Amino acid sequence: MDILLIILTVILIAGALNTVRSKDLVAAVISGSVVSLIASIYFYLLQAPDVALTEAAIGVGLSTIIFMITIRRTGRMEE
Amino acid sequence: MVDILSYLGYTLTSFGVLFLLFGALGILRMPDVYNRMQAGTKATTLGAVGTIMGVGLINPEWFFKTLIISLFILLSNPISSHALARGSYRSGIKMWQKKDIDAYEKAVQESEENEEAA
Amino acid sequence: MRKAIAVLFLGFIGYYLLSTFLLVPFGVVRVLEGVGLKYLQDGLQQTGAANLVTSIVVNYRGFDTLGEVTVLFLAATGMGALLYSKRPTERARQNASIIVKTGARILFPLIIILGAYVFIHGHLTPGGGFQGGAIIASGFLLMFMSYRTYHVNHVILSRVESSAGSVFVIIGLLGLAYGSSFLANILPLGTVNTLFSAGVIPLIYVAVGFKVGAELTALLDTMLQTVK
Repeated sequence: MDILLIILTVILIAGALNTVRSKDLVAAVISGSVVSLIASIYFYLLQAPDVALTEAAIGVGLSTIIFMITIRRTGRMEE
Repeated sequence: MVDILSYLGYTLTSFGVLFLLFGALGILRMPDVYNRMQAGTKATTLGAVGTIMGVGLINPEWFFKTLIISLFILLSNPISSHALARGSYRSGIKMWQKKDIDAYEKAVQESEENEEAA
Repeated sequence: MRKAIAVLFLGFIGYYLLSTFLLVPFGVVRVLEGVGLKYLQDGLQQTGAANLVTSIVVNYRGFDTLGEVTVLFLAATGMGALLYSKRPTERARQNASIIVKTGARILFPLIIILGAYVFIHGHLTPGGGFQGGAIIASGFLLMFMSYRTYHVNHVILSRVESSAGSVFVIIGLLGLAYGSSFLANILPLGTVNTLFSAGVIPLIYVAVGFKVGAELTALLDTMLQTVK
């Protein structure tokens, strides 16, 4: 269990750093959705299934799509 | 009876975990996008279905729910990776080694001709 | 001189912030005191909802939920106002393949049923109006992505949304008229852990589910119409 938590935390922090630092906005959005997914697993492990469900539906699904549509309208690379 | 079911369930779960491991290895080792996607779809679909159905056999009162979840995975996982593979082909990602066979190229040309005709 | 004053000022603020935060005990379980303990002890008797989170979100903090729904409504309205164009451009994307189309046709009703299940059973199982509405919107998104010509009727969506919002407010006002306060429970509580229990909580969550689902669907359709 501890090992699982450590692995999840490492992926969470790496994904968050990649979201901030990446110049390719599509990669940044996908990293952000990975962060949301792991946060949702964390919420479930911390016995908050309601929040986990919200995070999985909105953070992973809808907000990623909305970001992707916005990138499609503007531009892919950050200048 | 219950013991047989739970042994079956553990066997199925181990089988599923093994295939999930194969899927992860495939994603690490395969050379290009399409091969990785194949490893990450076929192996992990079988692995996830095996794991979930094994849990359903260990706890027989969950069996119906796990059956529904497995059907959902069997429907959605291949479709989504098909869409991903098609999208990456159409956006021009190269194959690892272009052999003589590229059957999808012909299909794409035909469908584009159909769209232009329509 | 100005820099010295700024540093002094920052040090002043930092000192008081730090001393305030140091007062908060770190790593101590504080669930079982104060209002949390009261919710845990009395929540089930007072609201009759098996899911205690729902009883807090819709019953004890129901007014906050109304505010949240209003915020979401305002966000969707602002987005629609920004993206509105008199000539909606036809989506010029490629058609999805036949596999995706068939799969979307099979999966779409299942996703809608899952979303409805989540918000109807909000007082029994994890989930509720917001989650169910988001799931329904993602089902519609699947259809938008698969079928180029699939459109929703925005008039029906806005009717659904406004009537669901009105239902929420009317239930609250009925609570004010016949009960003790705004959003007070006016229906019998029923047996715990059955579908028809917990008074007005399921009604409010069904209204929230319809509202959030309609809002997010309209938002996604408006955004996808602007993509070239």
